[in-house]
Amino acid sequence: MLREWKEREYIPPKNMVKLFVKGSFELSKVMLKNFTKLKKVRQEKVIYRPPKRMYEIPEYKPGMKVVRSDEKYLRPTLFCNPYAKEIIALANHLGAFEKEPYEYANDVFEFVKRNVILQIVPIDGVVATLKRGYGSCIHKISLFIALCRAAGIKARYKLYALTVIDQWYDTFINVDPIMREWYDAMGYFMLHGEGEAYVDGKWVVADVGPTPERQVASGIPITKFGDDSIGIWADAIPGGIMRTESLPLGMGFLSKLMMNISPGSIARMNNNVINMYEKGKKMLEEMGGEEEYMKKMGGGMKMPTMKLEKKGIIFE
Amino acid sequence: MIEKEEYIKKLHSYLKKYVASDPTPGEEALYKPVDIYNVPKKEAEEYKYKSIKYIFKHHYENNSFYHDYCKENNVSPDDIKSIEDFNKIPLIADKFFKSYPEGREFAMWLATLYTGELPSIVIKKKDDHDGIINKFREAGLVVTYSSGTSGKHTFIPRSQRTFNAAEYAIAKSAITMLYPEWEYDINGYLLMPHPFKTNVFAGKVCGMYFDVIKDVRVALERELSADLIQQAMQTNLKGRVIRYAMQRETNKIIDRIINWLRKNDKEGNKISFIGAPFLLYFVMEKLEKDGEYFNFGRKGSIVTGGGWKIYEDKRISTEDFRKKVEEILGIPQELCLDLYGMVEGNGWMTQCPEGHYLHVPNTYYHVRVIDENGEDVAYGEKGRFAFLDGLAHSYPGFIVSGDEVRMYEECPVCHRSTPVLAPEVKRARGSEMRGCAEEMRRVLSMDMGGADA
Ligand SMILES: [Zn+2]
Repeated sequence: MLREWKEREYIPPKNMVKLFVKGSFELSKVMLKNFTKLKKVRQEKVIYRPPKRMYEIPEYKPGMKVVRSDEKYLRPTLFCNPYAKEIIALANHLGAFEKEPYEYANDVFEFVKRNVILQIVPIDGVVATLKRGYGSCIHKISLFIALCRAAGIKARYKLYALTVIDQWYDTFINVDPIMREWYDAMGYFMLHGEGEAYVDGKWVVADVGPTPERQVASGIPITKFGDDSIGIWADAIPGGIMRTESLPLGMGFLSKLMMNISPGSIARMNNNVINMYEKGKKMLEEMGGEEEYMKKMGGGMKMPTMKLEKKGIIFE
Repeated sequence: MIEKEEYIKKLHSYLKKYVASDPTPGEEALYKPVDIYNVPKKEAEEYKYKSIKYIFKHHYENNSFYHDYCKENNVSPDDIKSIEDFNKIPLIADKFFKSYPEGREFAMWLATLYTGELPSIVIKKKDDHDGIINKFREAGLVVTYSSGTSGKHTFIPRSQRTFNAAEYAIAKSAITMLYPEWEYDINGYLLMPHPFKTNVFAGKVCGMYFDVIKDVRVALERELSADLIQQAMQTNLKGRVIRYAMQRETNKIIDRIINWLRKNDKEGNKISFIGAPFLLYFVMEKLEKDGEYFNFGRKGSIVTGGGWKIYEDKRISTEDFRKKVEEILGIPQELCLDLYGMVEGNGWMTQCPEGHYLHVPNTYYHVRVIDENGEDVAYGEKGRFAFLDGLAHSYPGFIVSGDEVRMYEECPVCHRSTPVLAPEVKRARGSEMRGCAEEMRRVLSMDMGGADA
């Protein structure tokens, strides 16, 4: 079994384990040091109403097509079961086996990115996410991957720890030493990432995490299928990016543990995200849609359109 | 001491091969001034107006996608009647130069970016990016890309003319600021990949180094290919092996540089370093560890460019770097200057020796600092670095970068007449990276710390 685990990449990569071990140590240190503060925060009650699901789950009918393969990147992995009825139904509904692979993957991307609201909840499976209508970026990536795999498109995770990518915290966090300690300790556990689907002979990145509304509310471009979230790469340390077939074992447990440190904070954060979503939605309405937003985006930060010309080029 | 005019004239004679025989207004604005960073304001504005107006018209008329873009924005060359009107010139996001298609369409993409006609270029089916770049090179173009580890590169198609201007400009920029210390009889060390073997712009543009000083050593004989860098980022065994190899290679390079320092010190030669600061930083760390110090004094000079991230988690300021240079190599801080430029542009912001503010070459290069709505921010305010480049002849160089800068109307320290940027430039990365986890971390840490950010 161990071999199979390893083969499917259930065993977290070494540097992830290192991060977690180091993180646990740092976190307990800070928690002990700030015991009273923590107690106070934990007692705080924050009102939180989870968002409503924004879509209907299509009905499963026997005989619906699905690709069952034991090939790497196509088979089920932890928290990501492409053979679940709900997933098969949705995959068919989204046009699996009818559309070209790229088109289908793009539609899956748009579906997951737009319809599943970002909320921090402990890691669970794709069906739970689909039924709930919200989840963390990890949940959203898993859903994206499951829908791709169900249609026979290889898909995987691209994860990175955030400790390695922040530079801007100098301005915000570095100012207060306690804050910095917390922030740093938390960083070891915070994985962020994107999905990747293998279409037309290459891996295409899918930044499914943020809904367009949230991107609008924070004044950043709306990412499309194939758009990297810029700035991340440049700061990931060598070896810091993990591309895996599966989420690692232990992640569900760890994420529950993290949530329990301060449930009030999580609720507050989830409220923030919902507020941001609403704000972005309103902004888009006022502005006249996403296209307008992208045009206005950064004013000068516009993108000309380009009709490719051949000029003096001769293709042999 | 050599007169400045004489000094620049001498430099010009070494740079002859980069000089255009039929200069555009932008090129004139580069060649003519004795001190490119100290042209009287009115005169500089005249140069600049002519340069930018000319080059804008050129791209409007000879570049189809930029022409359409201008139409979309309702701007034509007739609308540009003064420097104030420069704000009407449509800017292109730097991201645009990264948005290339794959396969053979990449060649067409480069051709479309290119302003004007191209000679015929034959592309074979098997040609990949590098293959296509080489085909363009054979046709007399210089296609370079950004270094760096990002998945996508920025590709810029330069004509020989535009590339020559970039080379001339970088040499003149650095040497002007180092006045009167430059002379031909210097031994130099290039802390970059070999300019003649790389397609990375920052490396290639250093080719002029071989023209302006007598003897040049190159630290990285082999090129770090984009592929190699990407592979080194991987967690797998291959990635580890590559990183290990890189580490070993770096150690050898450091030893070579130290030996070179010893030799020149003994012989009393003048020395110069140009390139990425991190290698020299490693050298200095080694020297410090071994308790070895030099005292080159005014016989040494250092020009750095970019790459202030020394290790994955360590950044140093240009100031700390200068102090270290002074302490370990004995080179005074005023002879340790940083340049700020980018693959998309041909202008070089250069630190002044007195205050180490980055001076803008304002005879051919117009800098704007803008907010997210594309409006100019006030002097001293933070914003995105944008520029109109009077030397970019082969592609429209009207570009907004992702870098975050502050501009001042004049240098708070020296007397030169140009606007300046504050010495530390930050890559502005939008809040893109604020994924769900980042947000969580922020909220949690704020809660615990009790602070309100
Ligand atoms: Zn100055």
